[in-house]
Amino acid sequence: MKKIIFIVLTFSILLNFSCATDDTCIQTKYVKLTVNFYLANPTDTIISNRIKVMSVDSLSVQGLRFDSITGLYQLVDSILYNNQKRVSTIDLPLNNQINIKRSTFKIRFNTIVDTMTVFHSNINDYLSLECGCIITHAIDTVITTNHFIDSARINIHDVNTINAENIRLYFDSAKIKINKSTTINANNIRLHK
Amino acid sequence: MRIIFVYISSFLLCLSINTAVAQKKKQIAIPTDTIPWVNGFTVQVDVASLVSSSLMNNGIYSSEGGIQLDLKHKFFPTYEIGAAGASKVSADNINFKTNGFFQRIGVDFNLRKKKPDSKPTNNLFVAGLRLGASNFNYNVTNVTIPENYWNASTTFDYPSQNTTRIWYEIVIGVQVEVIHNFYMGWNIRNKNLISKEVLGQVSPWYIPGFGLNNGANWGFNYTLGYHFWPQKKMLKNRKVFPLTKK
Repeated sequence: MKKIIFIVLTFSILLNFSCATDDTCIQTKYVKLTVNFYLANPTDTIISNRIKVMSVDSLSVQGLRFDSITGLYQLVDSILYNNQKRVSTIDLPLNNQINIKRSTFKIRFNTIVDTMTVFHSNINDYLSLECGCIITHAIDTVITTNHFIDSARINIHDVNTINAENIRLYFDSAKIKINKSTTINANNIRLHK
Repeated sequence: MRIIFVYISSFLLCLSINTAVAQKKKQIAIPTDTIPWVNGFTVQVDVASLVSSSLMNNGIYSSEGGIQLDLKHKFFPTYEIGAAGASKVSADNINFKTNGFFQRIGVDFNLRKKKPDSKPTNNLFVAGLRLGASNFNYNVTNVTIPENYWNASTTFDYPSQNTTRIWYEIVIGVQVEVIHNFYMGWNIRNKNLISKEVLGQVSPWYIPGFGLNNGANWGFNYTLGYHFWPQKKMLKNRKVFPLTKK
């Protein structure tokens, strides 16, 4: 009798035993290049005032696709930031294609236009069957035009899902003052303490 | 007076004989070392994996068997071998496929304490440890990375990936002799991976013998076995149990 109970009990355990698999991905897959804006005032007597986080108004950012056949840049259809207010940081997607090693962005500060080109390598990073794969990047070089942007500095080379400041864009306070007094409207620049 | 002496002396004599017989009986009833070191071996087949492979339509199959040596009815060195595989398509249409063999080696300990007056039994309540390993190939195909902004969606394949995974298992279960030499039993296993994930490596979704690649898994085995004991006949023919030397 005990043996029959044992057999029945164990078969019931066996039937109830199931391995449920969860197919949903809980990992973040959003890979972004984070760029922060800084105002550089190297002549300031107070050292702590020489570099300050800065936010700008009327910021527009759009990707520029390089056509290797024509050798020209073409604007990507969708706009990343469209006349955005009070922006001190921007998150940008880098180009995923294996043979593309650079991503170029047109950054418009009100009426002044600069371009920023990021040279990078693309790395395949397989996460799991549920999450699939992401492409992370390693920044090699950053070059910008200098109409409004003064300079650029790479802070963290690895671009992945971790929220990190990858690039610092510096704006020269002297240039902003000139722009303010002349044709370029740079009235809405704010400094963060 | 003489009669009293005869009575007392005969009573004492009887008492001494009884005590001697009882002592002798006791010695025979509880032989301290009657179980030989090697008591044959059991060949087992896991039914749970076969049943779950056929009943659950989840693309996973597994079959395994083992051999268990009986040492003094206390220690059971065990070797298990099996084949397993999985075919899985994720929600994003990524295909994973693997087939491979696995092996486990370990030992079970009989936790059942024999009471002096209990009947001899071959039923076991065991706990044990296993060390498992599997070297297997797997394919991960149709891995699509959507990229909407630059319109640069890409698809990758990772064919013929090879890896070796090692894990340990904590096992607890029972075994019952249902018919002469035929054993039935079940055990529950807690499996833990020892091998670490290599950063950047395409990790397998399923590991043969371990299950889903989650770091830790639970397993269940329902075994049918036959016990081979070549020396048993020889022992049965012995009328007297061997006694321990003082």
